[in-house]
Amino acid sequence: MKKSITVILMIIISSLFSGWAGPLDSFGDVGRKVPEKTSEKTLRNTSVFHSSYYLIKAKTYKNNDELQLALFFLKIAASLSPDDMEIVGKISDLKLTIDNKSNKYFKKGEKFYNQNKFEKARKQFLTALRYNPDHKDALDYLKNRLIPKEYINYTLEKNDSLKIISNKFYKDPELAFLIVYFNNLKSDTEPKPGEMLKIPILEPEFNQTIGDRRQDMISAKNLLGEKRFQEVVVITNKILGNDPLNKEAIKLKNEAFYQIGIQLSSQKKYFEAMDTFKKITPEYEGVNGAIQEAIQHELLKAENLLKEKKYEEAIDLAEKILGYDPSNTAANKLISTSLCQQGRDLFIRKKYDEALHVLDKADPADDCAEKIRLAVKKAIKEQAEAHYIQGVKHFLNEELQSAIIEWEKTLKLNPKHDKAKKNINKARSLLEKLNKVK
Amino acid sequence: MPETANIKKTVLINIFPLFFLLLAACSINGLIFNNTHQAHVSDDFVIVKTTAQDTFSSLAAYYLKDPDKGWLIAEFNRMTTLIPGQELIIPLSPFNKGGLKAEGYQTVPILVYHNFSNKRSDKTAVSQDDFEAQMKYLKKNGYHVVSIDQLLDFIDYKEQLPEKSIVITFDDAWRSIFDVALPILIKYDFTATFFIYTDFIGGGKAMTWKQIETLSKIGFDIQCQTKTHRNLAVPKKNESFKEYFESIEMEIGYPKKLLKKKLNIDCNFLAYPYGETNNLVIALLKKHGYRAAFTFDRKSNPFFVDKYRIYRSVIYGSYDMDKFKENLSVFQKNELK
Repeated sequence: MKKSITVILMIIISSLFSGWAGPLDSFGDVGRKVPEKTSEKTLRNTSVFHSSYYLIKAKTYKNNDELQLALFFLKIAASLSPDDMEIVGKISDLKLTIDNKSNKYFKKGEKFYNQNKFEKARKQFLTALRYNPDHKDALDYLKNRLIPKEYINYTLEKNDSLKIISNKFYKDPELAFLIVYFNNLKSDTEPKPGEMLKIPILEPEFNQTIGDRRQDMISAKNLLGEKRFQEVVVITNKILGNDPLNKEAIKLKNEAFYQIGIQLSSQKKYFEAMDTFKKITPEYEGVNGAIQEAIQHELLKAENLLKEKKYEEAIDLAEKILGYDPSNTAANKLISTSLCQQGRDLFIRKKYDEALHVLDKADPADDCAEKIRLAVKKAIKEQAEAHYIQGVKHFLNEELQSAIIEWEKTLKLNPKHDKAKKNINKARSLLEKLNKVK
Repeated sequence: MPETANIKKTVLINIFPLFFLLLAACSINGLIFNNTHQAHVSDDFVIVKTTAQDTFSSLAAYYLKDPDKGWLIAEFNRMTTLIPGQELIIPLSPFNKGGLKAEGYQTVPILVYHNFSNKRSDKTAVSQDDFEAQMKYLKKNGYHVVSIDQLLDFIDYKEQLPEKSIVITFDDAWRSIFDVALPILIKYDFTATFFIYTDFIGGGKAMTWKQIETLSKIGFDIQCQTKTHRNLAVPKKNESFKEYFESIEMEIGYPKKLLKKKLNIDCNFLAYPYGETNNLVIALLKKHGYRAAFTFDRKSNPFFVDKYRIYRSVIYGSYDMDKFKENLSVFQKNELK
């Protein structure tokens, strides 16, 4: 009895461990294994997973140029409808499209690479890889060939020795120890011709002797302390000529230019100061503030010129400011105001043509200039009409020549004045007839 | 009576233990605690019709054998929440290793912190409140803090990372990192890498070796930042080239050996002191078996970044939240079509 109870319980438990849930079927879902792996045949009948749904998704992704996702969803559809040869055909067509596209971009990339246009090349290789994530050649360019190397491979020639190679690459035979170290060579053994060696590439800064560079840097610092800024610029330029990324030299040069700019500002040579500030790298603290301060001084000058009605000088100055700071709204506004006021002055003095010439330079969206322009045009029209009426009066008094002169003035002001045109013709014809009678 | 006593004894000795075994069997098989969902399984993917019991994490745990990969399912299906009854695809392998899209490519920012302060922030030390606010922002806005190993798998084009991935690193081993930053990292369950320069350890304001060991034991990553924190890219005044070479060789080789000896830690990554490097330093790193190294260039990293010039953004104590957010770029626009 004892044994049989134990045996029965062991059978139940072992069956449960192995996944048979018989007695628990009455608990519904609880009795099933997670997950329920539906067979292909069952699936097509359950209406849960339809290949058609995934075909639509594949089409959408294909239309959005997401070809890898389109392929993925086609494969899902094929898995759900394994007998559907149309899907198989679509998969093979899409694979061909993917290959063609990725190879097209890869070749473009190689072309740019060979022209040393590395950024453009990288973009093409990335595009090739987006279309085909397994494009090994594109990946090789991105991960290896586009990344700077710290070695070059060198095959030993006849009569080469480590010192000769060191002199060839480093202009210093004493650096042969580097070649020994990086190639795991013994210092007393010379490698043989035909052997391949890794030669570490040293930055240009090491071509200038280390002592010289340090000395230059110290001199530049001392000169900065003595406020001999132009000389600091000369020395840091020399350092940067050999080592363009030398941060310490860049910092010193920036500081020297900044101080020169400040000196020029204090002498009220604001544009020269700005030219100097522009030579400083943008991340240098305070440089943008110094440029803006110089601009404010020049803006103030331009505003004073405007107050003195020296419009053209004010405009010239504001345009110069915009050359340094193209988005400066105050300078733009100053130009608009100057043009409007100059136009108004000319209008008041009845110099309509000149007024229009000035106002045409203003921004069409500027309300002030537009109002003056309309007033000028209205005045011109009125003046043309006055000449026309004067012409009519002369005509009625049979002063035909005077009438023609007035109407010609009308047409000069308003070339579309049809009545003036007709009347001139009429007056000229009458004059001709009269001349014949005489 | 003896028969009844025997039955009771049988029940006590056999049935009770077997009953508990039964419960264990049920729970292992998911019979009691799990519900079911319908699934179609293929070599490359699984289609599931989800139930109320499913989460991205539970599905990832079952099908991808890693509950932390729920994001992979969410991102493939372009979903943020799971709705019961929804059909979704579980890709069984990475579906976009380089994070490449028609509009551009994924980038991973790496933050680097130095010193911390309990009180106010200054230029170099980040305050406790600011650090807490920054970590809270990352958590609240769905950033996935990943390890440097995970980042390297992404850079090596082996694995995919969540779209909003970020790496957190600490340089120098200041004691304040242990006292101020560590509790906050633990609170938010964020992993991090600590780059240490070994001569600093045990000094007045530095962590002790015991604290470094604790960090390692609780799962944080310890890596190298040279022996003395000298600038590896610049020779010292009056230093010959040979002396310079020997010095940087020692800076790179010594901490790796020391970490292995003291804490049995493999140092595979190096953070450049002052973020500076050159070709010679990189050649030495490769010779010493370092897998990657990190600068201070304020950019985020695409998968095709130079592994020995990986970008990091220093977070200063003077940064407000807007300035902090400027360092979290996870995508670079660049039309790839």
